[in-house]
Amino acid sequence: MDNVIKTVNLSLGYRDDKPVITDCNLKIKSRDFAFITGKSGSGKSTILKSLYGEILPRAGEIEVCGMDIKNISSTRLKALRRVLGIVFQDYRLINEWSVEKNVMLPLLIGGFSKTICVKQAHKLLKHVNLLHKAQRYPMELSGGEQQRVAIARALAHNPVLLLADEPTGNLDEYSSDVIWSILKSAKEQLGTTVVVVTHKIPTTLGLEYKHFFLESGVLYEVP
Amino acid sequence: MKSLKNHFAVIFPLLVLLFAFQFTKGLDSVVVDYEEKIIDEYSILLVTAKDFKYEELYTLSSKVKNVEEVSPKKVLDNLKKDISAENISLIQLALPKFYSVKLSSFPSDKERVNIEEKLLKAKGVKRVEAFSKTYNQIYKLLSVAKTLTYIFASIIGVIALLLMLKQMRIWVLEHKERMDIMTLFGAAFWMKSAVLYRLALVDSLFSTICVVLFFWFVPKYKLIQEFADDIGLIVPTIDPLKDGVLLLAISIFFALISVSLVMLKVKNEQP
Repeated sequence: MDNVIKTVNLSLGYRDDKPVITDCNLKIKSRDFAFITGKSGSGKSTILKSLYGEILPRAGEIEVCGMDIKNISSTRLKALRRVLGIVFQDYRLINEWSVEKNVMLPLLIGGFSKTICVKQAHKLLKHVNLLHKAQRYPMELSGGEQQRVAIARALAHNPVLLLADEPTGNLDEYSSDVIWSILKSAKEQLGTTVVVVTHKIPTTLGLEYKHFFLESGVLYEVP
Repeated sequence: MKSLKNHFAVIFPLLVLLFAFQFTKGLDSVVVDYEEKIIDEYSILLVTAKDFKYEELYTLSSKVKNVEEVSPKKVLDNLKKDISAENISLIQLALPKFYSVKLSSFPSDKERVNIEEKLLKAKGVKRVEAFSKTYNQIYKLLSVAKTLTYIFASIIGVIALLLMLKQMRIWVLEHKERMDIMTLFGAAFWMKSAVLYRLALVDSLFSTICVVLFFWFVPKYKLIQEFADDIGLIVPTIDPLKDGVLLLAISIFFALISVSLVMLKVKNEQP
């Protein structure tokens, strides 16, 4: 699989309103680290949502991990989501579940045994330096810690592609740096393809990356 | 407290539903008991010019269970005081045969008329007397009560299902965030709804235990027993195992149907 993500003249929108994205051409290869930037409300998150099938395209083509999202069945969509890791700006952790169980979620969905799930969850929690808080609940953690749990969850099942929507949007500078270093290590150590939607690219990333800029509904690749 | 309220909102309609079912079942068994009781006492009198055997009558109506000849001896003994022995012998020869025909179950009006017509058409049958009026009134009353209870139980069933559906909708809203997150990670339908199914099963089990205990202990109360004896009824008792399993199956069926209907609706709404 050459391109993990490929969109051609993609048009996206909500209900019957004017399209948010009119001409999106995006090619991201395996093990790439890519940023999609743009002003607030420009449609960055909309592109990301289309990559995991939450929004279906109005026109154009969209292929993620070799699957045609435009004509995807619900069974195939589930299969696709099981090989993706998604990180949200608002973390979206399950508050009734412990940190450990939250990280285990993609593995439980994948049907792994509890022993494997716990082992992998502990490995990831150690990676994000939160193993000591495995039995805590999300509401007992700070925003930065919750986002680290969300990243651990997104990486738990060794996803082919990690999609992150403003992962540092609600965090202070220190917490943001920690998050960037975890995302960087996901690419370097696990070989995961990472696509991050953000309004600001960190200056201290120390990593080769692709940069796409979104303006007036059109996506440009920044050389 | 909120959790208890949520459980009670499912347990209550389930309890009402199970009570209605068990009550209907109990009334049904009272009517069946009464039917058996009156069918033992009930018979059709057949006046014939010739001898009849059970087989002959059975070919006319399969409801015929037994036939007994009624001896005219008592009538003749009364006449002996006023009539000479010679004339008595002549009367005895001229007298028709009387048969008491027992049926296998208590006939409806239509069945009774049908049996009467068939018996009358048989060669040698002079008269058929069904004596139905006395039994019919009470039997009809019980049958009407039984039908009304069925209708009542059906209405209760529909209302209970609607109440449960409403509560399931509330459960779904409470669990919506978790289910949405699981959907985004590709969770299967059963996995997302497992919690709701588990809650529904627990509430079904609790409701069944309550109803079984009620119907187990209430008929044992002296007051209830005395009342039943007074009106000549046998209070139906519950078999904790057999009836309990049936009640559990009903409550689980209704609870699972409610969860499934709501979850299927949610499934179609989710991205």
